[in-house]
Amino acid sequence: MIVETAAATESAARTGDPILRLKAVDKFFGDFAAVDRVSLDIHEGEFFTIVGPSGSGKTTMVRMLVGMDKPTNGDILLRGERINDVPANRRPTCMVFQSLALFPHRTVGQNIEFPLKIRGVAPAERKARALELMAQLRLPDSYYGKGVLQCSGGERQRVALARALAFDPDILFFDEPLSALDYKLRKLLEKELKDIHRETGKTFVYITHSLEEAMVMSDRIGVMNKGRFVQIGTPNQIYANPVNRFVSEFMGEVNVVDVERGAAGSLVDRLTGAAYQSPAGDSEFREAALVVRPEDIRFLDHPDDAADNKLTGTIYNDYLLGSRVQYQVRVGSSQIFLVEKLREQQLDVARGATVTIAWDTRQSMLFATPSFTQSMVAR
Amino acid sequence: MDDVSRTAKWIYGSAIGLLIAFMYLPMLTVALASFSRSRYFKFPIPDWSTEWYAKVYESLSIRELFSTSLVVAITVGVVATVIAFFGALAFARYDWAGRRIYQKLILLPILFPQAVLGLALLLWFTALGITPTWQATVFAHLVWIAPIATLVISIQVYAFDPAVEEAAFDLGATRWQVMREVTLPLLAPGIFSGFTFSFLLSWANFPLSLFSSGADSTIPEWISAKIQSGYTPQVPAVGTLTMAAAAIVMALGYAAFSLMAWRKSRLEAV
Repeated sequence: MIVETAAATESAARTGDPILRLKAVDKFFGDFAAVDRVSLDIHEGEFFTIVGPSGSGKTTMVRMLVGMDKPTNGDILLRGERINDVPANRRPTCMVFQSLALFPHRTVGQNIEFPLKIRGVAPAERKARALELMAQLRLPDSYYGKGVLQCSGGERQRVALARALAFDPDILFFDEPLSALDYKLRKLLEKELKDIHRETGKTFVYITHSLEEAMVMSDRIGVMNKGRFVQIGTPNQIYANPVNRFVSEFMGEVNVVDVERGAAGSLVDRLTGAAYQSPAGDSEFREAALVVRPEDIRFLDHPDDAADNKLTGTIYNDYLLGSRVQYQVRVGSSQIFLVEKLREQQLDVARGATVTIAWDTRQSMLFATPSFTQSMVAR
Repeated sequence: MDDVSRTAKWIYGSAIGLLIAFMYLPMLTVALASFSRSRYFKFPIPDWSTEWYAKVYESLSIRELFSTSLVVAITVGVVATVIAFFGALAFARYDWAGRRIYQKLILLPILFPQAVLGLALLLWFTALGITPTWQATVFAHLVWIAPIATLVISIQVYAFDPAVEEAAFDLGATRWQVMREVTLPLLAPGIFSGFTFSFLLSWANFPLSLFSSGADSTIPEWISAKIQSGYTPQVPAVGTLTMAAAAIVMALGYAAFSLMAWRKSRLEAV
């Protein structure tokens, strides 16, 4: 498969109108387009994650979606109604902030009840609802009168989520709320959040820089770069068929080899001159990136065993990654390939040992490098 | 080693002791002078008396002084705190063109010699045809005190996460509700110390009052005038009362702070 421009792959057609629709939305800061002509549909009940590196425009995007910022051009439609100019406090949506933004001078109970108090709900009813949400989020009743500053990081996350749920939003936005937590707690809360999503049936829109986090929770993921969606699809689609080098690299550590077109159906390594088979057949391009995942590379028992693509190198270093082992295999003087194996399949060789690595052509991916003129046309 | 550090501790301890003595002994002397029966200050005190306090209490003109100073200090405290509250939000929170210049301009009056500032204001009052009165004094004090109060409240503004206000707004609160439910309670300690500072600085101010008050004399002006001519132990008596009033304001402020801290710790301890 070869993709030259960032054509977004839409998921299977859905029935019904989208709850949120963006039509050619952009946001300029001076001449700089933080969000660049984005169109997007988010469906009722969906867990949609916007993922991108810092500076990709995802925070600007979510600020427009919740109503903290206005788009420069384009329309934002909520259930078909244009909401560009509706301020955040008059929108039926709310957000869990990156810093959580809990009210430090209030108790857990007062924090959760805040949106209800604003609406003028009676105190007894407010308290009942707060305790109900606390039970749902596994916060003990005794926390009701506790100051939020006395709560641990994970408990504060739950309070912030309970406060947002008390608002009963049509869409709940999340701006990287888990980024400050340690790994173990983050993993636990990711799963809890997915459970909450299923229990409430609400539409969740989540912002993160971690594709791994996005994969765990989302129904669909939109990968952003430079103010645009590079690819939109289900976690499986994005993992299996990244549309370009950026997405494939963003997914985690991968081997990227710069190649140019050789004789029919073959690729030539621009660094070493080695020949590889092209997964894209004989297509039109000059230069491209050949991407092979570390887990798709195997070690051959004998250097003469048959394989689509074969290289001989030495073990340069090895790292234990918990359930997996990663090897750096040095080929030639300056090329390093990453190879990952399950821990049980660990190699019984020392550093410096000579090994032969191989991969199946169909497990590699080829992304043409857009030439200057092509990228101008694509814009 | 042990000896050296003991010596160091001794030097350090006496330095602090001396510093405190230099600061507080003169004030103690003023208090002592006010309790002397003698018209002139002699030490040791030959004969103790509270008659000068009785005379202060009976004197209508001194009552007038206290009421002028109090009215000026309260007005300055309230107005400076209101100006400083909004000023501090502009100073520390919102980013706008000219903010950096504003931040510098607002600090400048603090650094002016007060006598020069007072003279400048007097010239302006004269040019504008404003008669120097206690109202002019309030204005003169504000020029110097509002910037200080702004700095005091700014510290509190810097200390809190603006996302908290955004969150309240996002959860449906109006601008006014955000102010009442979030901004004001979170800035309360800063507002409180801003007011206390403003009140005390105005209460004790001499140079600005001297140039601006005209016929409405304040306590520091009266003390200064009486030192130059017509000294009686009423002067230290008034001075002692002035200090006592300032001390009471500070004590009340401290008590209010302790109460807030105690309520907060109870909130957190549950």
